[in-house]
Amino acid sequence: MNIYVKIAYTFLGLMIVLNWGMLMRVTFRKIGARMAGRHGVPFRQPWIDLIKNIAVRTTLTHGVMFYLGPVFRFSGAVGLFLFMPILFGKEAWMNFSFEGDLVLILYFQLFGMLGMALGAGEGGQPHSAIGISRGLAQHAAVELPMTMGIIALAIQYQTLSISEIVAAQQGGFLHWSFFTNPVASAAIMLSALGAFGYSPFNLVKAPNEIPIGPPTEYHGTYLGVLMTSGNILGVMETILFMNLVFGGATNWFELIIKSFLIYFYAVFVGMVFPRFRIEQSVAWFFKIPLLLGFIAILMYSF
Amino acid sequence: MVTPIYIVATALGVGFAIGVLNKLGRNFTGGLVLTAIAFMTFISFQWFAGFYSGNQLPEYIFTAGFQPPLSINLLMGPFEAFFSLMVNAIGLVGGIYMFNSLKERGSNAQVVYLILLMGLNVMIMTRDIFNLFVFMEIASISIAGLILLESGTRSMGAGFKYILATSVISSFLLIGVIFAYYFVGSLNIDDLITSNLHLVKGGSIAIFLIMMAVILELKPFPANGWGLDVYEGSDAGLSAVISGASASASLYVLYKLMAIAGPEWNYYISLLGAITFVGSNLLGIKQENTRRMLGYSSIGQLGLLTLIIGFKDILGENTIYIAFGILISHYLAKAGLFWLSGIIKSKGLKGWSVVRKHPFFLFLMGTFVFALIGFPPFPSFFAKWTLVMDLTATGNIAWVVAILFGSMMEAVYLFRWLGYAIKAENDHIEPVKIEWSKIIPVWIAALSLYGIGYYTAQLSEIGSGINFIPFLFVAVLLALDFLPIFIKNTLAIAGMAYYFYTVYPSLDNLRLIFEVIFMVGGILALIAGYAYKGTRSGFYPVAILMYAGLTGIIEANTTLEFFYGWELMTAGSYFLIIRGKRSMPHGLSYMLFSIGGAYALLAAFGMAQVSQISSDLDIINHITYLPQWAYGLLIAGFLTKTASVGLHIWLPGAHGEAESDVSPMVSAILLKAGVFGLVLALIGMGAADNQFSGLAYTLGWVGAITALVGNLMAVFQEDAKRLLAYSSIGQLGYIVFALAIMTHLGWLTAFTYSINHFMYKAILFLTIGAVVLRVGTHDMYKMGGLISRMPFAFIAVLIGIIALSGVPPLSGFAGKWLFYNAVLDKGWYFQGIIVFFAGGIAFLYLWRLIHTIFLGQLKDNHRNVKDISIWFAIPIYILIMGIMVFSVKPEWVLQPLGEILAPYFPNGQVNWVAGSASTALGYWSGTKVFITVVGVFAIAFAFLAISTRKAHKLKQFDIVFSGERPDRPETTHIAWNVFAGFYKAVWPATIPLVEKFWDKVTEMLHDTAGFTRRIYSGNGQAYMLHLVLFVLVTYLVIIGG
Amino acid sequence: MEFINLGNIGLIIGFLLIIVGFWGVLTQKNIIKIIIGFSILNTGINLLIVSLGYVKGKTAPIIDATIATEGNYNVADKIVDPVPQALVLTAIVIGFGITALMLAYAMKLYKAKKSLEINKFNDLKW
Repeated sequence: MNIYVKIAYTFLGLMIVLNWGMLMRVTFRKIGARMAGRHGVPFRQPWIDLIKNIAVRTTLTHGVMFYLGPVFRFSGAVGLFLFMPILFGKEAWMNFSFEGDLVLILYFQLFGMLGMALGAGEGGQPHSAIGISRGLAQHAAVELPMTMGIIALAIQYQTLSISEIVAAQQGGFLHWSFFTNPVASAAIMLSALGAFGYSPFNLVKAPNEIPIGPPTEYHGTYLGVLMTSGNILGVMETILFMNLVFGGATNWFELIIKSFLIYFYAVFVGMVFPRFRIEQSVAWFFKIPLLLGFIAILMYSF
Repeated sequence: MVTPIYIVATALGVGFAIGVLNKLGRNFTGGLVLTAIAFMTFISFQWFAGFYSGNQLPEYIFTAGFQPPLSINLLMGPFEAFFSLMVNAIGLVGGIYMFNSLKERGSNAQVVYLILLMGLNVMIMTRDIFNLFVFMEIASISIAGLILLESGTRSMGAGFKYILATSVISSFLLIGVIFAYYFVGSLNIDDLITSNLHLVKGGSIAIFLIMMAVILELKPFPANGWGLDVYEGSDAGLSAVISGASASASLYVLYKLMAIAGPEWNYYISLLGAITFVGSNLLGIKQENTRRMLGYSSIGQLGLLTLIIGFKDILGENTIYIAFGILISHYLAKAGLFWLSGIIKSKGLKGWSVVRKHPFFLFLMGTFVFALIGFPPFPSFFAKWTLVMDLTATGNIAWVVAILFGSMMEAVYLFRWLGYAIKAENDHIEPVKIEWSKIIPVWIAALSLYGIGYYTAQLSEIGSGINFIPFLFVAVLLALDFLPIFIKNTLAIAGMAYYFYTVYPSLDNLRLIFEVIFMVGGILALIAGYAYKGTRSGFYPVAILMYAGLTGIIEANTTLEFFYGWELMTAGSYFLIIRGKRSMPHGLSYMLFSIGGAYALLAAFGMAQVSQISSDLDIINHITYLPQWAYGLLIAGFLTKTASVGLHIWLPGAHGEAESDVSPMVSAILLKAGVFGLVLALIGMGAADNQFSGLAYTLGWVGAITALVGNLMAVFQEDAKRLLAYSSIGQLGYIVFALAIMTHLGWLTAFTYSINHFMYKAILFLTIGAVVLRVGTHDMYKMGGLISRMPFAFIAVLIGIIALSGVPPLSGFAGKWLFYNAVLDKGWYFQGIIVFFAGGIAFLYLWRLIHTIFLGQLKDNHRNVKDISIWFAIPIYILIMGIMVFSVKPEWVLQPLGEILAPYFPNGQVNWVAGSASTALGYWSGTKVFITVVGVFAIAFAFLAISTRKAHKLKQFDIVFSGERPDRPETTHIAWNVFAGFYKAVWPATIPLVEKFWDKVTEMLHDTAGFTRRIYSGNGQAYMLHLVLFVLVTYLVIIGG
Repeated sequence: MEFINLGNIGLIIGFLLIIVGFWGVLTQKNIIKIIIGFSILNTGINLLIVSLGYVKGKTAPIIDATIATEGNYNVADKIVDPVPQALVLTAIVIGFGITALMLAYAMKLYKAKKSLEINKFNDLKW
């Protein structure tokens, strides 16, 4: 495929993912509001927010790194999209996933996080630093069981290529890792709760304890870029879990259904459970999810 | 040839003459005594030279015109000439040292001193056993007499105890002599030898008493309180003579009489020597008094020598070489130290910090301490090497263990002492008065040590292969130490560059990788040295000493050369580390772990030599004698340098407290020496699944746990350099783990990590070090917001942490990607997960490092600090360029690496197609990923740059803060204990179990020593009782058992 | 009673004196008494030496009238072994030297602490 056509497809895919992410988020905001007995924001709200933020004329800056934070975040989100095969078997939607495998995805997730942490740090706002320190601590804990699950899958399929993992799950839902390797899948999906950052694992951006966490100082265009990145990231996370555990997707419709349900799962748990303190959430990941990850790997060690 | 009878004649003649001539003044008599000693020295030297050239035959000297046994005869053979030369030479130099103190005591003291030397000479030369008794008594009386002529009750008590003890000993000797005579009918030693006295009924009692007496003269543990008291109480010059001359003569007497006792005594002599060596050195660790500590050390060394001569039948012709090396080192070093102790005058160890006020005192003291412990290039190094090699080769492992344990204990107290001298508080101490007559003898001893060390190396075939040129360069730098930094630094860099240029064509690729890390890395780290002012006294010799050692281990062809380089490196890095402000305890623990590790290597090399009569370094590839133990010891030895868990406790302090440009040297560069060693050891074990797989498996777990412990501890550090130090522990854990995998991918991972760690840890340590130089503190919470003052430092740290964390697109990711493939390929999932988790934790401390220093709120006292020095920035940015090249074109590094490793691990290589790597499991195109990420980054950057082009720059406290406007950076900067929440979750894993374990070990050793040494109650009668009991117990063991 | 001859009596007394000497040296607290102990010890050893050289029925190794009358041959058969006696002379001299030195020490020690108790002089220990 011509590289320009490739880039055009990729750009189109990015737009779809971005808009789907915004729609999905606002849907869950509405669901949450209705559960709380409120009416909630209108469905057009994310687009309004984005346009408003980018259109804000006054912008302030704390310095170069403050400014690079959103750039890192955005590159991280887009990069994740680029290195991820979106639809199985469709060369146009495989993006640039031939450049790197699962390991690249796992480590590239951190690119945006790192930049964000540094950018927010330069703002000098103590709440940013508090939020980041919590975020990093929780992330370290989340990663352990999740990676154990992922490694169990990599052992199961004897590959680190996401495409091949998806390929191996084709041929009916019973071939999904979720059914062929329930323990590893459970470890991954429990950790996924932490990755999505909804309650009970949302202390990082907790409005009650700290007024909104790392992005406290961000506004205007910066915030617009951050929100865009956040929406892309949200979808990309669901796609990652979909590819690993739920057989991937062969068309956009399947992708939308599956990613919605995966996202719904995180939000649902969030609606039901109250928030953990950071040491509680870290400890939580070191219990059941870690045990599951341990068992998942133990099964392949003999 | 002047006949040796003139030694006796001169001494007696001058002695009597002084009785008449003492009217002419003490200076005259003192001069006369020195002249007499000089003449005696000349006679011994003449004989020694004659024997050395090989033209001289041993000669009997008959007295009174009769043949023995009717008269006394002396023998002048090669040994006699050597020992007599030792006695007379130290008598001469020590006589110069004691000139003034003898003068104060009067001409009688001068005569007694002369008679002491004469007594020792006759002890050495005589072939008549009763004559031996007489002259031993003369020597004892002379020593006690000299002490009697001193002033002060302390020395008085010591002298009295000495005479009591020696009287008891001589009683045993006399009884033994008379029984020997009764059974044999001759007092001549040669007759006693030929008579087979030990076969005669009752003769064994005679032998027993004689041997006991000569062994007791050597002050065996524990019947040696009297000897310790004399070392502590008497004049320093006299202690030197007792330690050097009297002990050497006694040792030779023992050697001489062993011929009478027969071979069955050898074992017991060695056993008593070993007990003395271990016991004495163990008790030494509790000492706070310098002179007494030196006494313990002297007695210990004599114990070692006793052990060696007991092994003379097993060691064969090497006995002389070994005993010579250890004896001469002890003789010179101990004399030098005793003499120094007379100049310094401080009783306590801490008072020795005064040596820093005198240029080159530290050099002298360091020389002696290192010579005693057996570091190169001193004779004891080569002797100890040969000793351990030969003992292991003959299967005497238990003896090796005892020797190494004793040496380790000796190192504990000697290096603690040296540490006090280098670092302890010395502001309140007055400089000492230097008399030339006292300092010159010390210099003679020190320089002789170097000269004889070189000579000793040349004596053995394997030692003569050692390349002394780098060491010579160190000496040149030492001599030029007075020059300003700029000249010395340039000289050092030029020297290293030239040396690297000459040496690199001769190296294979594997070695070249490490040589580049050591030498190029060393040059880069040295560039930062230009930032310092003044002369930086003592820095360059020790830094180059470390690099000389590092290149030495790379170039080594034989195990001895490797060990030589290893020890040089240890010595150099010890001095580098201890230069830091608060690094005294860390320098000591570094040294002790290093020495422990070195001894493990020594033992392993010894085992490797068994059944392979060769000293090539290749022998570690084919160890057949106890191979599991040998490889285990090798690995353990190298793990002390890589600071793996259990052996890591020295690192954080040592690296954290070191100077700014030393930290990168010891962290980024020096730790790779351990990696290089592991590489050699593991190559030796072989790639195939074999009997050593279990060892590699254990090593893998050690590496994994090290990675976790190091990184976890780094998270909770408040000190930036300690944080980096713990991080180094963790990173080395990755490397050890990856090496243990023992596959192509595993090793590729390890080498990638090694190269990367070298670059980013050098960047981070150099940058943080440079920042520390500007802000004057290591504590991160005292910094903050420095990005605005130090943008260049910030960029360097940013690149460094991205590379370290392994986030794509920088080079660290190469390591991570290879790591996953290697782990899955090998199937070490759990260890791999632990290492992976450690990597996740790394984010916490990396963010903390950059955030608390550069981001957040700028402190008031840092508002005017400048960016880091240009001399630090140059090497930092050169290294950043290196990281960038590696990141953009990883195949430029990884592909050649793969080819280098292919001969060792041919299976499972990475496939490279046009810059894309793939393995059986995964794939990765470094360059494309780099371009993609940079492209997206650039687009986002451009968009944001345009849309916020009019952004208004805020002031420091313009933040949204609950409607308030904070005004103090201290209360607004989140830096202290940032990971409090995380700590609450993981604290059980941060309990310093390893530190507690080593603390407990230390405590137990100290308690044992403290308890045992109470037998030295100070009561002369108790000491006599010890002697009698010693004889009784030994009797029961030898004759009864 | 072949056993009781001059040589064996000397031996037994010598051993006894040695034991007494050691006893004195190891139990007496007074420095002078210790020195006396050494003297007894030395005497015992000297007696031992001489006794070991004794041969029954022979004369002293001195060329005097008893030997001269026998003529100048076979002198060695008539005298006891001369070497132990020579040794004893030397040993006595040495013992004298040692005793003198010890006494000198005793004097100086007494001057320092006004005491002759050996327990008082353990400044240097451990």
